Amino acid sequence: MVLIIKDEYPEKLFREDGKRLDGRDKTELRPLKMEVGVIENADGSAYLEWGNNKIFAAVYGPREVHPHHLAKPDRGILRVFYRMATYSVFDRKRPAPGRREKEISMIISDCIEPVLFLELYPGTAFEVFIEVIDADGGTRCASTTVASLALADAGVPMKSLVTSVAIGKIDGEIVVDLSGIEDKAGEADLPLAITWFNGEISLLQFDGAMDVEEFNKCLTLGKEAAEKIYQIQLDALRKKYISIQESVSGSSNASGGEE
Amino acid sequence: MEEEEGEILEDDEFEDEETTRDLVVPGEVLTEDVKNFLPGRGTILNDTRDKIISLHIGLKQINKNYINVIPLKGIYTPQPGDKVIAIVTDKNPVKYRCDINAKDEAQLKPKNTARRIKARLGRGRDYQRDDSNTDRFEIGDVLIVKVLSADRLNKPELTTVGKYLGKKNGGIVISIDPPKIPRVIGRSGSMIKMLKSLTNCNIFVTQNGRIWLKGDDIAHERLLIDAIYKIEREAHTSGLTDRIQAFIENEKIKRGIK
Amino acid sequence: MMDVKRVISTIERKYIINNLKKEERVDGRGLWEYRDFKIDTDMVASAEGSADVSLGETRIITGLKYDVGEPFPDLPNEGVCTIMAELLPLASPLFERGPPDEQSIELARVVDRGIRHADCVQTKKLCIKEKEAVYILFVDMYVINYAGNLIDCGGVSTLASLVSAHIPEGEYTENGIEWTGNYLTGEDIVNELPLVLTYGKIEDIIFSDPNLPEELVCDGKISVSVTEDKITSIQKSGAATFSLDEIRMLGKKSIEIGRELRNKLNFWQYKVKIE
Repeated sequence: MVLIIKDEYPEKLFREDGKRLDGRDKTELRPLKMEVGVIENADGSAYLEWGNNKIFAAVYGPREVHPHHLAKPDRGILRVFYRMATYSVFDRKRPAPGRREKEISMIISDCIEPVLFLELYPGTAFEVFIEVIDADGGTRCASTTVASLALADAGVPMKSLVTSVAIGKIDGEIVVDLSGIEDKAGEADLPLAITWFNGEISLLQFDGAMDVEEFNKCLTLGKEAAEKIYQIQLDALRKKYISIQESVSGSSNASGGEE
Repeated sequence: MEEEEGEILEDDEFEDEETTRDLVVPGEVLTEDVKNFLPGRGTILNDTRDKIISLHIGLKQINKNYINVIPLKGIYTPQPGDKVIAIVTDKNPVKYRCDINAKDEAQLKPKNTARRIKARLGRGRDYQRDDSNTDRFEIGDVLIVKVLSADRLNKPELTTVGKYLGKKNGGIVISIDPPKIPRVIGRSGSMIKMLKSLTNCNIFVTQNGRIWLKGDDIAHERLLIDAIYKIEREAHTSGLTDRIQAFIENEKIKRGIK
Repeated sequence: MMDVKRVISTIERKYIINNLKKEERVDGRGLWEYRDFKIDTDMVASAEGSADVSLGETRIITGLKYDVGEPFPDLPNEGVCTIMAELLPLASPLFERGPPDEQSIELARVVDRGIRHADCVQTKKLCIKEKEAVYILFVDMYVINYAGNLIDCGGVSTLASLVSAHIPEGEYTENGIEWTGNYLTGEDIVNELPLVLTYGKIEDIIFSDPNLPEELVCDGKISVSVTEDKITSIQKSGAATFSLDEIRMLGKKSIEIGRELRNKLNFWQYKVKIE
């Protein structure tokens, strides 16, 4: 595409005052909010805004597998479809799914599968559809996070949620939660995800160059950041029901108790 | 007049004394006291067997020494004996295929649609079984059925033989989350009785989240549908029956219906 | 209202039809009444215009992107606006994955024709240099939840995203296209506000804005695009037939409903002002 305003990156990724370009400290997360139950028709759904990322996730299942030959007789299968809208990126993306989307779909699927009980659903599939409406760095992490929330919203039994975040290196410094610019212009990018039932890592990729000490620091900071994001996921799950409880408690009879 | 009452199911789990209003989430630790408590429905022991964890978003319930989680949402799992509303989606000469809002399609065989008809046919025969073919029902028919069998690997088997079972003519079917069906019935049927008498509608509530209803006119039916969706939304709160009753009474005035 | 994750049953079909005959609809609306529209614009930071529109529970998020390219030889000083639609599988168990099917092509084309024949987009203003460089606008609709009547929702979503446009203005130089520092906004490029209005027909009853059960049960549909006082495009679909009187009635009604809706939605509030 011909771009009239070019996609240029600044030379320095830190400001004079030591903060990152968007004003954050090195371990600070971007503004993050989530909501569940946003798509009526889906069995479970969630929506996330993280920095400028805007992502929907919807779960359908367990349901019949198409094409049929992919079904497994002794257990269910998990299929994740990560897609980006044409207008979600600065340089318009072609509508058809590309290799990157297919790779990310697979990674997210492998990441979430450990928390599910697929053996309870032989011959069927859980399908998770992720649509990125606006992209701003770390979309695979945001997508994993919102997909896990959509599964919980569907009432699917899960050992725990899954939370994902990207750690990276910009201008020689290790930082948490890379923004779009930092992702493109930085030196290293490490997306990871944690399954909370065993506290272990279920998604891990790395691109860049780092020594062992820096790498270890990334893992530690990553887990800490994931813990913060996990709380936001749990709040979003609860909020849907608690807000209803609160709105009705005003109108219930004072003599309550007996139904 | 045909009685439309759905069978009274087990006590409304949501209103049990033991169900707290504690909302729990998947992965949440319900207790670390594994000596005195056992993992019940909707829960699991963790890998190191020192904690009981919730598998769903739901309400925590303690029943004797079992900790259960009543899920707020979830797919319907057919159990033998369940009464459900099925929709015929296909048929061939040997069976009907039905949608029962479960992960698998269900099957209805002609022998399980048989009706005993007392008829004098002479020569000692005094009844006729109509079980040889699939002529009775058409695609798109709504049937109240009972689940005969269902297991992990085989498609559920259904029957229309029994009291209150069979095809429905007229009325309308709506769906809510299956786990919330007990709330529409209420403890000892208190909610469903109230809904019926206040809206003057016939209602048949079934286990797979489907509800058949028919009233005097669309205005009453609409009010009942709105009330049922309100029950679904507020299923996890307390004082529900009173609140729904107040809702229906207020709406009747607002909408100008009796 | 009714669960339509599977085949519509006979009694549901009868219920809708019998009530329509009494001019009653399951959701309480009148025959010519629209569900509520909810509109939010310019939310997508990566796009040069966007609109998140819900019509009842049907929701479509549309985004606008641009490219610069050569014009068509027979229209050397006009830009191009192309409209696409995707029925995302996340929006309904009735949607399958894969390339655009009949339904998504119908959505894109009906909305496109309503926009095009109303001269909605001032394609002459999308010219940077005659015969050399024009803007190509891509307006892409993504269906997020399907509860009937994608076309009318898509039409409003497309129009609102065009009104909210903020496209960098380019000038043709020997070094290529350079940014003037200004933007083309909705005010510059949108000329007319066409609305597409869809009607369902069941037996001999016609009604506006079919919801999902009505759409699945209806015998046919007809979509009429209108500006303030002109009919600009029509599409009939489905196996139903319409009498000449019915079509005349719908033409007139569409202008009326169009005016009411256009007034109520007040599209110009979504134009973007850039300093």
